[in-house]
Amino acid sequence: MKKINFDKVFSFILVSLLGLFIMKVLYSVAGEEAARFTADHYISYGVDETGAINIITAILFDYRAFDTLGEATVIFTAASVVALLLPRHEASMLKTEFTPVVQQSIAFILPFLWIISIFLISYGHLSPGGGFSGGVIISAMSILIIFTYGYRYMTRRFNVKKLSLIEDIGALAFLTIGLAGIIAGGTFLANSQVGIYPGPPGELLSGGLMPLSNFAVAAKVGTGLSVIFLSLARED
Amino acid sequence: MILVFPAIAILISMGIYAVLTQKNMIRIIIGISIVESAIILLLGAISYIPDGVAPILDQPYDTVVDPLPQALGLTAVVINASTTAIMLALVIKLYNRYQTLDIHEIRKLRG
Repeated sequence: MKKINFDKVFSFILVSLLGLFIMKVLYSVAGEEAARFTADHYISYGVDETGAINIITAILFDYRAFDTLGEATVIFTAASVVALLLPRHEASMLKTEFTPVVQQSIAFILPFLWIISIFLISYGHLSPGGGFSGGVIISAMSILIIFTYGYRYMTRRFNVKKLSLIEDIGALAFLTIGLAGIIAGGTFLANSQVGIYPGPPGELLSGGLMPLSNFAVAAKVGTGLSVIFLSLARED
Repeated sequence: MILVFPAIAILISMGIYAVLTQKNMIRIIIGISIVESAIILLLGAISYIPDGVAPILDQPYDTVVDPLPQALGLTAVVINASTTAIMLALVIKLYNRYQTLDIHEIRKLRG
Protein backbone atom coordinates (compact mmCIF):
# COMPACT_ATOMS: atom_id res chain seq x y z
CA MET A 1 0.00 0.00 0.00
CA LYS A 2 1.27 3.39 -0.95
CA LYS A 3 1.98 5.79 1.87
CA ILE A 4 -0.27 8.81 1.89
CA ASN A 5 1.62 12.08 1.92
CA PHE A 6 -0.22 14.12 4.54
CA ASP A 7 1.51 17.36 3.51
CA LYS A 8 0.11 17.07 0.02
CA VAL A 9 -3.39 16.17 1.23
CA PHE A 10 -3.39 19.07 3.68
CA SER A 11 -2.14 21.48 1.00
CA PHE A 12 -4.77 20.23 -1.41
CA ILE A 13 -7.58 20.85 1.10
CA LEU A 14 -6.25 24.32 1.94
CA VAL A 15 -5.87 25.24 -1.71
CA SER A 16 -9.35 23.98 -2.58
CA LEU A 17 -10.83 26.14 0.19
CA LEU A 18 -8.84 29.09 -1.11
CA GLY A 19 -10.12 28.48 -4.64
CA LEU A 20 -13.73 28.35 -3.43
CA PHE A 21 -13.21 31.57 -1.49
CA ILE A 22 -11.70 33.35 -4.51
CA MET A 23 -14.59 32.16 -6.69
CA LYS A 24 -17.16 33.41 -4.18
CA VAL A 25 -15.44 36.82 -3.97
CA LEU A 26 -15.19 37.13 -7.75
CA TYR A 27 -18.84 36.26 -8.34
CA SER A 28 -20.02 38.69 -5.69
CA VAL A 29 -17.82 41.46 -7.12
CA ALA A 30 -19.01 40.78 -10.67
CA GLY A 31 -22.64 40.81 -9.55
CA GLU A 32 -22.56 44.43 -8.46
CA GLU A 33 -22.78 47.14 -11.05
CA ALA A 34 -20.04 49.32 -9.70
CA ALA A 35 -19.86 52.92 -10.81
CA ARG A 36 -16.71 53.42 -12.85
CA PHE A 37 -16.19 57.17 -12.55
CA THR A 38 -12.55 57.28 -13.62
CA ALA A 39 -13.10 54.92 -16.53
CA ASP A 40 -16.12 56.92 -17.67
CA HIS A 41 -14.10 60.10 -17.55
CA TYR A 42 -11.24 58.55 -19.51
CA ILE A 43 -13.62 57.24 -22.17
CA SER A 44 -15.74 60.38 -22.49
CA TYR A 45 -13.05 63.05 -22.40
CA GLY A 46 -9.80 61.14 -22.98
CA VAL A 47 -9.58 61.76 -26.72
CA ASP A 48 -10.26 65.48 -26.42
CA GLU A 49 -7.98 65.97 -23.44
CA THR A 50 -4.94 64.01 -24.56
CA GLY A 51 -5.22 63.82 -28.34
CA ALA A 52 -4.54 60.08 -28.34
CA ILE A 53 -7.25 57.72 -29.59
CA ASN A 54 -5.75 54.73 -27.76
CA ILE A 55 -7.08 55.31 -24.26
CA ILE A 56 -4.75 52.78 -22.66
CA THR A 57 -1.70 54.65 -23.92
CA ALA A 58 -3.35 57.89 -22.81
CA ILE A 59 -3.67 56.45 -19.30
CA LEU A 60 -0.14 55.07 -19.26
CA PHE A 61 1.69 58.12 -20.60
CA ASP A 62 -0.57 61.00 -19.68
CA TYR A 63 -3.01 60.48 -16.82
CA ARG A 64 -0.89 58.01 -14.90
CA ALA A 65 2.57 58.67 -16.29
CA PHE A 66 3.98 58.62 -12.77
CA ASP A 67 2.91 54.95 -12.51
CA THR A 68 4.83 54.29 -15.69
CA LEU A 69 7.90 55.93 -14.19
CA GLY A 70 7.65 53.56 -11.23
CA GLU A 71 7.24 50.63 -13.58
CA ALA A 72 10.33 51.66 -15.54
CA THR A 73 12.18 51.87 -12.22
CA VAL A 74 11.17 48.28 -11.43
CA ILE A 75 12.75 47.04 -14.67
CA PHE A 76 15.83 49.16 -14.02
CA THR A 77 16.18 47.70 -10.52
CA ALA A 78 15.63 44.15 -11.77
CA ALA A 79 18.28 44.54 -14.45
CA SER A 80 20.72 45.97 -11.91
CA VAL A 81 20.01 43.22 -9.37
CA VAL A 82 20.36 40.42 -11.92
CA ALA A 83 23.59 41.88 -13.32
CA LEU A 84 24.93 42.27 -9.77
CA LEU A 85 23.93 38.80 -8.52
CA LEU A 86 25.32 36.82 -11.42
CA PRO A 87 29.06 37.24 -11.74
CA ARG A 88 30.91 36.62 -14.98
CA HIS A 89 32.39 33.26 -16.01
CA GLU A 90 29.74 31.14 -14.39
CA ALA A 91 26.35 29.67 -15.19
CA SER A 92 26.65 28.30 -18.70
CA MET A 93 23.42 27.17 -20.29
CA LEU A 94 23.61 27.64 -24.06
CA LYS A 95 25.87 25.02 -25.58
CA THR A 96 23.57 23.74 -28.30
CA GLU A 97 24.24 24.53 -31.94
CA PHE A 98 21.35 24.94 -34.34
CA THR A 99 21.32 23.85 -37.97
CA PRO A 100 21.78 26.42 -40.80
CA VAL A 101 18.04 26.15 -41.54
CA VAL A 102 17.18 27.66 -38.18
CA GLN A 103 19.91 30.28 -38.47
CA GLN A 104 18.79 31.35 -41.94
CA SER A 105 15.12 31.58 -41.00
CA ILE A 106 15.91 33.62 -37.88
CA ALA A 107 18.08 35.93 -40.02
CA PHE A 108 15.08 36.27 -42.36
CA ILE A 109 12.65 37.03 -39.50
CA LEU A 110 14.73 39.60 -37.60
CA PRO A 111 14.23 42.63 -39.95
CA PHE A 112 10.47 42.06 -39.88
CA LEU A 113 10.49 41.92 -36.08
CA TRP A 114 12.41 45.20 -36.07
CA ILE A 115 9.78 46.80 -38.34
CA ILE A 116 6.95 45.47 -36.13
CA SER A 117 8.56 46.85 -32.99
CA ILE A 118 9.15 50.31 -34.52
CA PHE A 119 5.57 50.31 -35.84
CA LEU A 120 4.17 49.37 -32.42
CA ILE A 121 6.21 52.09 -30.73
CA SER A 122 5.51 54.94 -33.14
CA TYR A 123 1.80 54.12 -33.53
CA GLY A 124 1.38 53.39 -29.83
CA HIS A 125 -1.11 56.23 -29.31
CA LEU A 126 -3.21 55.23 -32.35
CA SER A 127 -3.40 51.44 -32.35
CA PRO A 128 -2.76 48.54 -29.97
CA GLY A 129 0.83 48.59 -28.89
CA GLY A 130 3.02 51.19 -27.31
CA GLY A 131 6.42 51.51 -25.78
CA PHE A 132 6.15 48.42 -23.60
CA SER A 133 5.02 46.00 -26.31
CA GLY A 134 7.54 47.34 -28.81
CA GLY A 135 10.32 47.16 -26.25
CA VAL A 136 9.42 43.57 -25.39
CA ILE A 137 9.66 42.65 -29.10
CA ILE A 138 13.11 44.29 -29.26
CA SER A 139 14.21 42.19 -26.30
CA ALA A 140 12.69 39.10 -27.97
CA MET A 141 14.95 39.84 -30.95
CA SER A 142 18.01 39.81 -28.72
CA ILE A 143 16.83 36.57 -27.09
CA LEU A 144 16.41 34.97 -30.54
CA ILE A 145 19.91 36.11 -31.53
CA ILE A 146 21.42 34.67 -28.34
CA PHE A 147 19.64 31.33 -28.79
CA THR A 148 20.46 30.88 -32.48
CA TYR A 149 23.90 32.41 -32.92
CA GLY A 150 25.21 32.06 -29.41
CA TYR A 151 26.13 34.38 -26.59
CA ARG A 152 29.47 35.40 -28.11
CA TYR A 153 27.95 36.66 -31.35
CA MET A 154 25.50 38.80 -29.41
CA THR A 155 28.13 40.29 -27.11
CA ARG A 156 30.42 41.08 -30.06
CA ARG A 157 27.66 43.31 -31.46
CA PHE A 158 26.02 44.58 -28.28
CA ASN A 159 27.73 44.02 -24.97
CA VAL A 160 26.05 44.62 -21.64
CA LYS A 161 27.75 47.99 -21.22
CA LYS A 162 26.39 49.34 -24.52
CA LEU A 163 22.88 48.07 -23.76
CA SER A 164 22.99 49.53 -20.25
CA LEU A 165 24.04 52.87 -21.77
CA ILE A 166 20.97 52.83 -24.06
CA GLU A 167 18.81 51.89 -21.05
CA ASP A 168 20.16 54.83 -19.04
CA ILE A 169 19.61 57.18 -21.98
CA GLY A 170 16.00 55.96 -22.24
CA ALA A 171 15.39 56.52 -18.52
CA LEU A 172 16.95 59.99 -18.64
CA ALA A 173 14.92 60.87 -21.74
CA PHE A 174 11.71 59.89 -19.95
CA LEU A 175 12.67 62.01 -16.93
CA THR A 176 13.54 64.95 -19.20
CA ILE A 177 10.14 64.64 -20.87
CA GLY A 178 8.67 64.72 -17.37
CA LEU A 179 10.49 67.97 -16.67
CA ALA A 180 8.70 69.54 -19.64
CA GLY A 181 5.51 69.40 -17.56
CA ILE A 182 7.16 71.45 -14.80
CA ILE A 183 8.58 73.96 -17.30
CA ALA A 184 5.10 74.39 -18.80
CA GLY A 185 3.81 75.31 -15.37
CA GLY A 186 2.25 72.07 -14.13
CA THR A 187 3.33 68.98 -12.26
CA PHE A 188 6.03 66.46 -13.06
CA LEU A 189 5.14 64.35 -16.13
CA ALA A 190 2.05 66.46 -16.85
CA ASN A 191 1.31 66.42 -20.54
CA SER A 192 -1.77 67.88 -22.11
CA GLN A 193 -3.26 69.24 -18.88
CA VAL A 194 -0.71 72.06 -18.78
CA GLY A 195 -1.35 73.22 -22.32
CA ILE A 196 1.14 71.24 -24.37
CA TYR A 197 -0.54 71.14 -27.79
CA PRO A 198 -2.09 67.65 -28.14
CA GLY A 199 -2.43 67.72 -31.92
CA PRO A 200 -5.31 66.43 -34.02
CA PRO A 201 -6.59 63.07 -32.71
CA GLY A 202 -5.86 60.19 -35.06
CA GLU A 203 -2.80 61.71 -36.71
CA LEU A 204 0.68 60.26 -36.30
CA LEU A 205 1.91 63.44 -34.60
CA SER A 206 -0.64 63.75 -31.83
CA GLY A 207 -0.96 63.13 -28.14
CA GLY A 208 1.39 65.87 -27.04
CA LEU A 209 4.61 64.33 -25.71
CA MET A 210 3.25 60.79 -25.88
CA PRO A 211 5.22 59.56 -28.94
CA LEU A 212 8.46 60.80 -27.39
CA SER A 213 7.79 59.06 -24.07
CA ASN A 214 6.80 55.93 -26.00
CA PHE A 215 10.23 55.86 -27.65
CA ALA A 216 12.02 56.55 -24.36
CA VAL A 217 10.14 53.77 -22.54
CA ALA A 218 10.67 51.37 -25.46
CA ALA A 219 14.43 51.97 -25.40
CA LYS A 220 14.36 51.39 -21.65
CA VAL A 221 12.21 48.23 -21.66
CA GLY A 222 13.86 46.64 -24.70
CA THR A 223 17.43 47.06 -23.52
CA GLY A 224 16.53 46.40 -19.87
CA LEU A 225 14.99 43.01 -20.61
CA SER A 226 17.90 42.25 -22.98
CA VAL A 227 20.37 42.99 -20.18
CA ILE A 228 18.39 40.71 -17.85
CA PHE A 229 18.47 37.86 -20.36
CA LEU A 230 22.12 38.42 -21.24
CA SER A 231 23.01 38.25 -17.54
CA LEU A 232 20.97 35.08 -17.04
CA ALA A 233 22.46 33.40 -20.11
CA ARG A 234 26.04 34.42 -19.48
CA GLU A 235 28.46 31.65 -20.37
CA ASP A 236 32.07 31.17 -19.76
CA MET B 1 -17.71 35.01 -19.80
CA ILE B 2 -18.88 33.85 -16.39
CA LEU B 3 -16.75 30.71 -16.78
CA VAL B 4 -13.58 32.79 -16.58
CA PHE B 5 -13.88 33.10 -12.79
CA PRO B 6 -13.60 29.34 -12.05
CA ALA B 7 -10.63 29.25 -14.41
CA ILE B 8 -8.96 32.08 -12.46
CA ALA B 9 -9.69 30.39 -9.11
CA ILE B 10 -8.34 27.04 -10.38
CA LEU B 11 -5.18 28.68 -11.78
CA ILE B 12 -4.45 30.56 -8.53
CA SER B 13 -5.06 27.38 -6.48
CA MET B 14 -2.83 25.35 -8.82
CA GLY B 15 -0.03 27.87 -8.50
CA ILE B 16 -0.20 28.01 -4.71
CA TYR B 17 -0.42 24.18 -4.54
CA ALA B 18 2.77 24.00 -6.58
CA VAL B 19 4.48 26.49 -4.26
CA LEU B 20 3.38 24.49 -1.18
CA THR B 21 4.20 20.97 -2.31
CA GLN B 22 7.05 21.11 -4.82
CA LYS B 23 10.65 20.69 -3.70
CA ASN B 24 12.39 21.85 -6.87
CA MET B 25 12.91 25.61 -6.86
CA ILE B 26 12.33 25.96 -10.60
CA ARG B 27 8.91 24.35 -10.14
CA ILE B 28 8.12 26.79 -7.33
CA ILE B 29 8.96 29.65 -9.69
CA ILE B 30 6.65 28.08 -12.31
CA GLY B 31 3.89 28.01 -9.66
CA ILE B 32 4.40 31.70 -8.85
CA SER B 33 4.30 32.50 -12.57
CA ILE B 34 0.98 30.64 -12.89
CA VAL B 35 -0.49 32.78 -10.09
CA GLU B 36 0.78 35.94 -11.80
CA SER B 37 -0.76 34.89 -15.11
CA ALA B 38 -4.07 34.23 -13.34
CA ILE B 39 -3.96 37.76 -11.91
CA ILE B 40 -3.50 39.20 -15.41
CA LEU B 41 -6.41 37.07 -16.64
CA LEU B 42 -8.45 38.47 -13.74
CA LEU B 43 -7.57 42.05 -14.72
CA GLY B 44 -8.70 41.31 -18.27
CA ALA B 45 -11.91 39.67 -17.06
CA ILE B 46 -13.02 42.47 -14.72
CA SER B 47 -12.49 45.10 -17.42
CA TYR B 48 -14.98 43.29 -19.68
CA ILE B 49 -18.37 44.87 -20.28
CA PRO B 50 -20.88 43.01 -22.50
CA ASP B 51 -20.85 44.32 -26.09
CA GLY B 52 -17.99 46.66 -25.27
CA VAL B 53 -15.44 47.55 -27.93
CA ALA B 54 -11.72 47.91 -27.36
CA PRO B 55 -10.75 51.33 -25.93
CA ILE B 56 -9.34 52.62 -29.23
CA LEU B 57 -11.84 55.30 -30.14
CA ASP B 58 -11.29 55.93 -33.83
CA GLN B 59 -14.93 55.31 -34.75
CA PRO B 60 -18.37 55.83 -33.13
CA TYR B 61 -19.05 53.53 -30.20
CA ASP B 62 -21.81 52.50 -27.80
CA THR B 63 -20.01 50.89 -24.89
CA VAL B 64 -16.30 50.62 -24.31
CA VAL B 65 -14.61 48.15 -22.00
CA ASP B 66 -12.94 49.57 -18.90
CA PRO B 67 -9.47 50.77 -19.97
CA LEU B 68 -8.02 51.11 -16.46
CA PRO B 69 -7.50 47.40 -15.58
CA GLN B 70 -5.93 46.86 -18.99
CA ALA B 71 -3.37 49.59 -18.33
CA LEU B 72 -2.68 48.05 -14.91
CA GLY B 73 -2.36 44.64 -16.61
CA LEU B 74 0.39 46.05 -18.79
CA THR B 75 2.18 47.15 -15.62
CA ALA B 76 1.68 43.71 -14.08
CA VAL B 77 3.20 41.94 -17.10
CA VAL B 78 6.39 43.96 -16.89
CA ILE B 79 6.71 43.50 -13.13
CA ASN B 80 6.11 39.73 -13.50
CA ALA B 81 8.97 39.51 -15.98
CA SER B 82 11.26 41.43 -13.61
CA THR B 83 10.41 39.37 -10.52
CA THR B 84 10.76 36.09 -12.44
CA ALA B 85 14.20 37.18 -13.65
CA ILE B 86 15.30 38.04 -10.11
CA MET B 87 13.99 34.71 -8.77
CA LEU B 88 15.86 32.81 -11.48
CA ALA B 89 19.04 34.74 -10.72
CA LEU B 90 18.72 33.83 -7.04
CA VAL B 91 18.20 30.17 -7.99
CA ILE B 92 21.38 30.26 -10.08
CA LYS B 93 23.27 31.69 -7.09
CA LEU B 94 21.84 29.05 -4.72
CA TYR B 95 22.68 26.25 -7.15
CA ASN B 96 26.24 27.49 -7.47
CA ARG B 97 26.60 27.50 -3.71
CA TYR B 98 24.83 24.28 -2.70
CA GLN B 99 24.92 22.22 -5.95
CA THR B 100 21.26 21.30 -5.54
CA LEU B 101 17.86 22.65 -6.46
CA ASP B 102 16.01 20.82 -3.66
CA ILE B 103 14.70 23.40 -1.23
CA HIS B 104 14.76 20.95 1.72
CA GLU B 105 18.44 20.17 1.15
CA ILE B 106 19.23 23.89 1.13
CA ARG B 107 17.33 24.33 4.38
CA LYS B 108 19.42 21.58 6.00
CA LEU B 109 22.71 23.10 4.89
CA ARG B 110 22.22 26.31 6.79
CA GLY B 111 25.34 28.29 7.55
